[in-house]
Amino acid sequence: MTRVEVDREVCMGAGVCEMEAPEVFELDADGVLQVHEPTDLAAMGTAVRACPTGALQLID
Amino acid sequence: MSSVSTPTLDAIDLSDREFWGAPPEQRHAVFDLLRRESPFAFFAEPVVPYIPVGPGYHAVTRYADVEAISSQPALFASGSGAVSIADMPPDLNEFYGSLISMDDPRHGKIRRIVAKAFTPRVLEGLVGNVQAVVDDVVARARQRAADGDGTIDVVADLAAPIPLRVICDMMGIPDGDRAMVLQQSNVILSGGDPELVEDEELMVTAFLKAGELLAGLMTRLAVERRARPTDDLTTALVTTEVDGERLTSQEIASFFILLLVAGNETTRNAISQGVLALSEHPAERDRWAADPGITRTAVEEVVRWTSPITWMRRTATQDVELSGQGFPAGSKFLLFYGAANRDPAVFADPHRFDLTRDPNPHVGFGSRGPHFCLGAHLARREIGVAFQAFARELPDLEVCGEPARLQSSFVNGLKRLPARLTGLR
Repeated sequence: MTRVEVDREVCMGAGVCEMEAPEVFELDADGVLQVHEPTDLAAMGTAVRACPTGALQLID
Repeated sequence: MSSVSTPTLDAIDLSDREFWGAPPEQRHAVFDLLRRESPFAFFAEPVVPYIPVGPGYHAVTRYADVEAISSQPALFASGSGAVSIADMPPDLNEFYGSLISMDDPRHGKIRRIVAKAFTPRVLEGLVGNVQAVVDDVVARARQRAADGDGTIDVVADLAAPIPLRVICDMMGIPDGDRAMVLQQSNVILSGGDPELVEDEELMVTAFLKAGELLAGLMTRLAVERRARPTDDLTTALVTTEVDGERLTSQEIASFFILLLVAGNETTRNAISQGVLALSEHPAERDRWAADPGITRTAVEEVVRWTSPITWMRRTATQDVELSGQGFPAGSKFLLFYGAANRDPAVFADPHRFDLTRDPNPHVGFGSRGPHFCLGAHLARREIGVAFQAFARELPDLEVCGEPARLQSSFVNGLKRLPARLTGLR
């Protein structure tokens, strides 16, 4: 099952992933990235590649 | 584009102010040549009164090199100045650049705190406000044209008030202070344009005065918000702590200035030049008006096409290599976003304005890296809402004169764009 790993040291809370795949990624009220169960793997992949700081990684 | 004369490498000087007031086709022809023939072209620095002239800079025009530099912040730092070519005195640099001219770890800490106020979900909550602002601005512009000779200035009547009111609402700026905010942020991002800063000798003075006025406003609001907190961004700034440490009043003031200036000028110029681009490409304009469903890609294309911030600077922290070429520590690089956004290696037919371009990995909000535009989601929202309202409420808007271009290398801007509402006659 493909999942996403977030490097918390690198994540800046830019929210680009959330724009690409809002059902998977959500910056909460504290600006901390929450990752939900993926429904759309293609959108999730796009979001991971779009991260400006390279904080996201797909793990198979 | 037959009127564009073919530039020659020797004649190019990106430090010449005149160049930056030239029409975009002319500038793009120059950048096409640089990208092809001299992708790290070296230029002497423009002279800024009272500031020592530095060693010169490389103009980075290829998408891949802009990305390589931007995504390696440890090798290419922002801390010695990202928004000016000259090395400004450190206190001035930090004051006017704030987060933009800061490196990790401090940049990361502060950025994470302010990022909370700019997440997609927080901004989703602002949609109603953006829509209300845009509707009011559009109605006023139509009224103004009807009361006068049927014309408006796209910059003053449409493009400027939208982001100004949105960011001032977010920050809780009183109505009485907003004209000053617009005027002083103009000065800070004027790049010394003679119309905005009359005497070049006085540029630094005008610049300092603008900072002082905005900082004064912030100081006043900070006192008020500490006594009576509200839910605005200014309250968040003055009450926020980074690792148990409060931001200093200078840091707060400089961030306040960054938000006001960056939140205003960029979106304003994307809107005004977007209007111009649509008037030059009527088929695209009709396409967007007929199908609001293309707004997502259309907004991205407007940002790619206009690239409102022309460059940011990085400085090599050690000897570095780019595309096989070596550069010594201390080398300065200007990342020309507008040039990268027309790189044929990435964008098919790059000089075509195509509102359904997809994918469109433009660097109009900056390239990969920790300095990616904090306000990107806000800007997208404002631009999308604005252009949909223009299509609906101002379908008869017609550009009726030459745009007055800002003579600034840093901001790709318009000072005025005359238009008329033909439906009024």
